Amino acid sequence: MIGAIVRQLVGLFVDDGLLAVGILVAVGAIAFLTLLGALPTWLAGLLLAVSLPAALAASVVRSVRRARRPKRSV
Amino acid sequence: MWSVSTIVTVAGASFAASFVEAVEALTVVLAVGLARGWRPALTGAAAALAALALMVAVLGPLIGRIPLHALQAVVGVLLLLFGLRWLRKAILRAIGVVALHDEAEAFARETRELVEAERQRANGLDWIAGVTAFKAVLLEGTEVVFIVIAVGAGGLLWLASAGALAACVLVAAIGAAAVGPLSQVPENALKFAVGVMLSAFGLFWTGESLGVAWPGGDAAIPAFAALFLGVALALVALLKRRERA
Repeated sequence: MIGAIVRQLVGLFVDDGLLAVGILVAVGAIAFLTLLGALPTWLAGLLLAVSLPAALAASVVRSVRRARRPKRSV
Repeated sequence: MWSVSTIVTVAGASFAASFVEAVEALTVVLAVGLARGWRPALTGAAAALAALALMVAVLGPLIGRIPLHALQAVVGVLLLLFGLRWLRKAILRAIGVVALHDEAEAFARETRELVEAERQRANGLDWIAGVTAFKAVLLEGTEVVFIVIAVGAGGLLWLASAGALAACVLVAAIGAAAVGPLSQVPENALKFAVGVMLSAFGLFWTGESLGVAWPGGDAAIPAFAALFLGVALALVALLKRRERA
């Protein structure tokens, strides 16, 4: 039961692996460059505001394509 | 001093998110109560609430000791993972790629499984029913605790808690009056709104943790909500049009 609860707890945050990875990579890269001083904070904010909706859009479009694929092949 | 928009956003996000979670927990508790009796259902739910209270009692004081920027970073990223996941699912449901969450169907499924479990065990072990209620309340309750902490992380924890408490009390009252699944709740619309708000908070906190001076300060949160809402609605419209073509 504990294993099932842990799996469900992880599932609260991760549903589509691509979306989770996209969020973590985007935030990680922006944070890394900002903390290095290579990225001004205003640009970090702008990049966050652009990359996160983009990651969402990519995940949704990919999910829709994957859902349609089996229908076309039948 | 907090702006009115921040207060409304924090209380609203906490209330709406907790409302959805409470409805899901109530559906399972009602199924257990009606299929196997109220004693295991209420015992399991009460045990889960006690476990949640313990979790809050242990974690609550620790939160105050975490440096603000570290807390904002962790909460921000978790909110983004959580909020964008909800928003993605709500978009896919709106398009019709994923079936709408149906509380009546969830209620019927839980009831079927519990009746079947009782049939398989001649002695009708009450612990199965109790554990089912416990698990549902614990998992949904953990989500509520996380949402309250995350949304109220900027110093409005009391307001987020009040929003969540109001939602849970309201759902419990409606559930007690109806004694049935709350199938009339527009869950996908609520999840859509909550996904938008949690994502907006996630973006705000993540930026704050990196030292971003958002234009307008807290007033940026509703602007981010509008951004995510706009992207989500555009995706729904675009992909629905493609579906029809």
